[in-house]
Amino acid sequence: MLVPSDTIAALATPVGTSALALIRASGPMARLLVPALFAQAPLPRIAQHADYRDPQGILIDDVLFTFFAGPNSFTGEDCLEISCHGNPFIAQKILADLLARGCRSADPGEFSKRAFLSGRLDLSQAEAVMDLIHARSDQALAAANQQLRGSLGRYMAELTTRLIKTLAHIEAYIDFPDEDLPEENRQSINNDIDTLISDTARLLATSHYGALLREGIKTVILGEPNAGKSSLLNCLVGHERALVSPEPGTTRDYLEELIIIGPYWLRLIDTAGLNLTPAPLEQRGIDKSLEQATQADLFLWVIDATHPRPDLPSDFSRLLTTQNTLVVYNKCDLPVVAQSPLPQPFQSVNFSTITADGLTELQAALVNLGASFQVNVGSEVIAINARHTQALEQAQNCLQSAKLKLAQNIASELLSSDLRSALESFAQISGKIDHERILDELFASFCIGK
Amino acid sequence: MGASTLLLTGNIDTIAQMSCNPAIGGQAKGQMVREIDALGGEMAINTDVTAIQFRLLNESKGPAVRSPRAQCDKKAYQFRLKHTLELQKNLQIFQATVTGLIYKNGQVIGCQTNLDIKFMGRTVVVTTGTFLRGLMHVGQNKNEGGRLGDFSAKTLSASLLEAGIELQRLKTGTPPRLLGRSINFTGLQEQKGDAKPTLFAFHDTRDPEDLFHVEQTGERRLGWSPGSEQASCWMTYTTPASEKIVRDNLHRSAMYSGEIEGVGPRYCPSIEDKFVRFADKPRHLLFLEPEGRSTNEYYVNGLSTSLPFEVQLDLVHSIPGLEQAVLLRPAYAVEYDFAPPTQLFPWLESRKAENLFLAGQINGTSGYEEAAAQGLIAGVNAVLKVRGEDPLIIQRHEGYIGVLIDDLVTKGTIEPYRMFTSRAEHRLLFNHGSAELRLFEHSKSHKLLSDNRIGKILHKLNRVHYWQNYLENTRSGAGIWAEGIRRDKEIAKLPSELAAETAEIREEVLYRVIYAGYLERELRQVEKLKHVEKIRIPLAMDYAAIPGMRRESALKLAQFRPQNLGQASRISGVNPADISILMIQIAAQRRATEAS
Repeated sequence: MLVPSDTIAALATPVGTSALALIRASGPMARLLVPALFAQAPLPRIAQHADYRDPQGILIDDVLFTFFAGPNSFTGEDCLEISCHGNPFIAQKILADLLARGCRSADPGEFSKRAFLSGRLDLSQAEAVMDLIHARSDQALAAANQQLRGSLGRYMAELTTRLIKTLAHIEAYIDFPDEDLPEENRQSINNDIDTLISDTARLLATSHYGALLREGIKTVILGEPNAGKSSLLNCLVGHERALVSPEPGTTRDYLEELIIIGPYWLRLIDTAGLNLTPAPLEQRGIDKSLEQATQADLFLWVIDATHPRPDLPSDFSRLLTTQNTLVVYNKCDLPVVAQSPLPQPFQSVNFSTITADGLTELQAALVNLGASFQVNVGSEVIAINARHTQALEQAQNCLQSAKLKLAQNIASELLSSDLRSALESFAQISGKIDHERILDELFASFCIGK
Repeated sequence: MGASTLLLTGNIDTIAQMSCNPAIGGQAKGQMVREIDALGGEMAINTDVTAIQFRLLNESKGPAVRSPRAQCDKKAYQFRLKHTLELQKNLQIFQATVTGLIYKNGQVIGCQTNLDIKFMGRTVVVTTGTFLRGLMHVGQNKNEGGRLGDFSAKTLSASLLEAGIELQRLKTGTPPRLLGRSINFTGLQEQKGDAKPTLFAFHDTRDPEDLFHVEQTGERRLGWSPGSEQASCWMTYTTPASEKIVRDNLHRSAMYSGEIEGVGPRYCPSIEDKFVRFADKPRHLLFLEPEGRSTNEYYVNGLSTSLPFEVQLDLVHSIPGLEQAVLLRPAYAVEYDFAPPTQLFPWLESRKAENLFLAGQINGTSGYEEAAAQGLIAGVNAVLKVRGEDPLIIQRHEGYIGVLIDDLVTKGTIEPYRMFTSRAEHRLLFNHGSAELRLFEHSKSHKLLSDNRIGKILHKLNRVHYWQNYLENTRSGAGIWAEGIRRDKEIAKLPSELAAETAEIREEVLYRVIYAGYLERELRQVEKLKHVEKIRIPLAMDYAAIPGMRRESALKLAQFRPQNLGQASRISGVNPADISILMIQIAAQRRATEAS
């Protein structure tokens, strides 16, 4: 009676900031995830410490993981439990990574359901499991409804309707070959698919913006030693957080602070000063800074306005663009010297960490830069989550494959098969789609019948 | 199957009479006729030997959606089938109009006829077509009857209502028939049939003399060698004058004046509908189809209407080639009762009255093929019920017949239901050539075909598997056979032993090899589905008492009484969480039973 199952994954601890978060995966893939993620053999029931990295090798968190071999696990299947730091963004990232690796987002109460079906829970617990599924699905439904009532729901409804229209056109020529239909227009189908691909891509792009909204825009403060980077951080945070001193090179590691500017969360990261000829101890700090800089969304390049500015090391300067960089000329309360032109036409503000002159301009400039991350889908701002991303990526693949078939002039019923899969993926976000709608659309657009 | 069977009909001469055009097959329907043949039905062979034109539709597309279609000689089709029934062992035919069913303790035990003769039976299959309180409209003129010239079954409706079966109205229509010699074919475009006919019946697994399981008595039945009779259809179009005539008289159309309450099919719109709903379309295509070899009657395909007779006459005369046409029979619309099919079990037995099976238009379908498929399944199940055996249920992934019946019993219908390939999730698996192989387990286990034919199908199946395996795993020169075939598409060179196999085997092997990637994807999805289809729901399930189940879901489930979880999940308004809850309940009940 147990379903020949796929592997499901979900957050097992309540969403919110707690000290630790637990992510659980159950199913045949759990055993394979251990070597894939942690390069270790799946030893049952032993908690092990490891780094959790995404497929690109970027560190997400250091975690504790425990593997449970079925049937001696909660669900009776192979299970993997991962404890990470309680930051909800980290937990979401790990979950998203598990989904990207082929797990499926668990349905409400599905772990308990599997536990019951595999005989791990006794008969007396059946009712409790049913109640749990009921309660969880109510919550999930409420959350989903709230999302779908909003801009995402409208956007998805629009995409779905267009996909159904495209399908109806293809189906008309399959099911009514003997009718007096206008010449089949494959070019217009191609155009329809193209716009569906680009609109799905736009929606997918919002997942990064969504992450920025939830996790904060990662903003790295760069500059030569003693340019006042830590003081800038303190100014923005509003209290003394970074250890500051007039001695250059005080910041050897990096510091991180979360601040709110306008509608955005900024994760400010202070880094060690960038010296073109660093001492050995400084080099370690600079390496750390570079690691941070490669993952940054925004840069604040702090320049001491009282000296002619030195260049940034090339490893850093190649990361900067006019879209992601704000130059802060610091120490403007002191006599300043003329500066050589910047390597690119970056936005800049004059600032003093002592008097806080220019703070308003600085904040306004940051809000502007933040807004440039916003992905415009129509007139609305949408941010999608990990589950949506998974479904949209599947839809995107199907649409691409349909486009390829169209180009190769492959038979319509195979094209249709891809588009139907794309429709199924859309349905994972917007809920069950009645296929009768394809026929409704078909009979509405074509005069069919003898 | 050997069951002692009585066929009651209001008129023996109209057995298998085609009320609409004498065409069998077409998109999805053609595949379904082959499925009927694979399960021992008569439709395919009867079509093959009485057809006057064959066409394979969608030849430019992939094999899955290629469909055979045939125009039959209307009278030959009808009389040959009647003759076949007369020759059928264990079947008795009797002419009488059934006026009501006889019930006892909630079960049907027989039927009452207009001759005051009662017939008793362990199971009863009711197939009323459009005759149940049939009402025909020609403009404002109304006549009772299920077909022009025929009667209406009036009292049977009351008898169904008595059992608690709900009835609703549907509507369908048929165009005028013309005298051929009054048509001027000059200037009309001719549509010929295929030179090489694509047949419906599986002749490759039949012995030449084994025309299905009817005992041969040496009597001469109608029919001819398939393809030996060829007739053409002709195409013409409506004109602006036709449109004006229709528009000026819309208020006199039975459908537009509110005379008709039944819902008509969208895929078979009347000419009134075509002009009104698609006003931007300047003209509408019409086919002039001969109704047989021994008649001069032509069917005007596309000109279905419920306008008054004199308007029909003007309308016909406004069409090129038909200026002088003589109408033999006017177009008419017919309204009739149907019993919403959600009141049926998936084996087509009524939920309201035990031992009562319904098939065809009474279940809200349209089309000869849809009706034949249901008739076959209902008939087989009526016998299985008598024997106390498990019913025959074709799954959605096994064929169009499965899709048809599952749609009917789980979703119901609001218009006359017609099969389309797009209704099937897994239509790539439903190429017409594979019908016998797909349904083999059913035909074998219920002995629906002769032992000889079963043996031949098994051989075909084995050969197909052998070659599939061979081509996928054997090297030929530079690479694997299958890869070469998929790459080149043009099948210039095949292993000589494969080239020597029958065309049916070769085509099936090549389909499976060329489309392997797509078919595997479909099969994987089917595998996932199969599991939930196998989880049976106890008949006595008390949905209202399941903890945590939403009330709407419980009501829906109690109303539809799905047989298994797969079916439950297709009922609209039942959400996945409730399916999970139901799954736990089934497991809990099973465990409780095992424990006690």
